[in-house]
Amino acid sequence: MNAPENHLERRARELYREAARQLDPVVAAKLRSARRDALAKANGSSLAHRLLQLMLPAGAFAAIAFVALFMSSPVQRPTSANPGGVTLAVDVDGELPPDAAAADPTLYQNLDFYGWLAKNSDSEASR
Amino acid sequence: MESHDGRADEPDEDGMNTAVSALDTDLLAADVRATPASMNAFLAQVERRAFRMAELNLGHREDALDAVQDAMLRLVKHYSDKPAQEWTPLFWGILRRRIVDLQRRRKVRSIMVGWLGGRDEDGEDLPAWEPADTGPGPLERLNDAQSYADMAAAVKLLPQRQREAFMLRVLEGLDVAETAQAMGCSEGSVKTHLSRALQRLRDLLEEWR
Repeated sequence: MNAPENHLERRARELYREAARQLDPVVAAKLRSARRDALAKANGSSLAHRLLQLMLPAGAFAAIAFVALFMSSPVQRPTSANPGGVTLAVDVDGELPPDAAAADPTLYQNLDFYGWLAKNSDSEASR
Repeated sequence: MESHDGRADEPDEDGMNTAVSALDTDLLAADVRATPASMNAFLAQVERRAFRMAELNLGHREDALDAVQDAMLRLVKHYSDKPAQEWTPLFWGILRRRIVDLQRRRKVRSIMVGWLGGRDEDGEDLPAWEPADTGPGPLERLNDAQSYADMAAAVKLLPQRQREAFMLRVLEGLDVAETAQAMGCSEGSVKTHLSRALQRLRDLLEEWR
C-alpha cells in the first residue's frame, strides 16, 4: 500500500481518536455513569448468583440431615409381639393407671395368679 | 448478517488481500493494545471511542449512548469470566449488533411514521420521533471539525458491511481476525469489505490526498 493511500487511513484514525478525546463532558459523564452502572449491576447479579450457589448445597444438606435425624430417632411403634391386635394401654410415664377398657381382659381374669406370681418373685428376690 | 452492498460475502479479488494486509505491519504496528488490568479499565479505555463509533453509525447522540451502555452491560454480564484478550472483539461485536438492532428499529419506526402521514412534501421522512439535540455539538469542539464531519459524511455513505469493516479495522485498529469475529464473518470477507470501503472513501475524500 503506497503512502497517499495510507495517509487516508492515518488521517481518519487521528480524527476519530481526537473526536473521542474531545468528547462533550456531559456525554463523557454519562458514559462513566453507564460504565459504573453496568459493573454494579453485574456485580450485584453475580453476588446473588454466588449466594444461590452457596445456599443450594447448604439447603440440600440441611434437608438430608433432617431426614436422617427423623429416621434415626426412637419412635414407639406397635410391634409384632402382640399379634392379636389387642393393645395394652400402658402409660409411658407411669403416672396414670392402665385404662381398664383398653386392657387385655385375660389380665383381669387371672388376677389371683398374677398376685401370687408377684408375691413369689418378691420373696425369691429377698432370699 | 446479510451483505448490504448486494455482493457475495466472500473475497473475489486476489490482489486485494495482499494490499489490505499491509495495514498490519504499517498502520497498526504503532498501536499495539495492552491487555487491560480489569473490566473497568477496559471499558474506561474504549467507552469514548465506542460512543463515537455508535454516533457515526446512528447519527443520534441518545441512541449512541443507549447502544454503548447496553454493550457495556452485556459484556460485563456475560463475558467477565473470559480472558481479557478476548474482550476487545467481543465488545465491538456486541456494539455492532446493538447498532444494527437500533437501525432496524428506527427503520420500522420510520415506516410507521410514514403510514401515519409523517412525511414532508418531498416525501422525506420527518424525524418526528427524535428530540432536537440542543446541546453543544462535539464537532464544534474539534480543531479538525470540518475534516471529521467530511469523514463522517463519507463513512455514512458506505454500505453497512463496508462501514463496519472500515470502522473496526482502520478506526478502531482491530486485526483481521478480531474484526472478523466482531463482524461475524470470515477474514477474507473483512479484507474484501475493507478494500472496497477504502476505494470508495478515496473517491469521496479526494481532497485528503
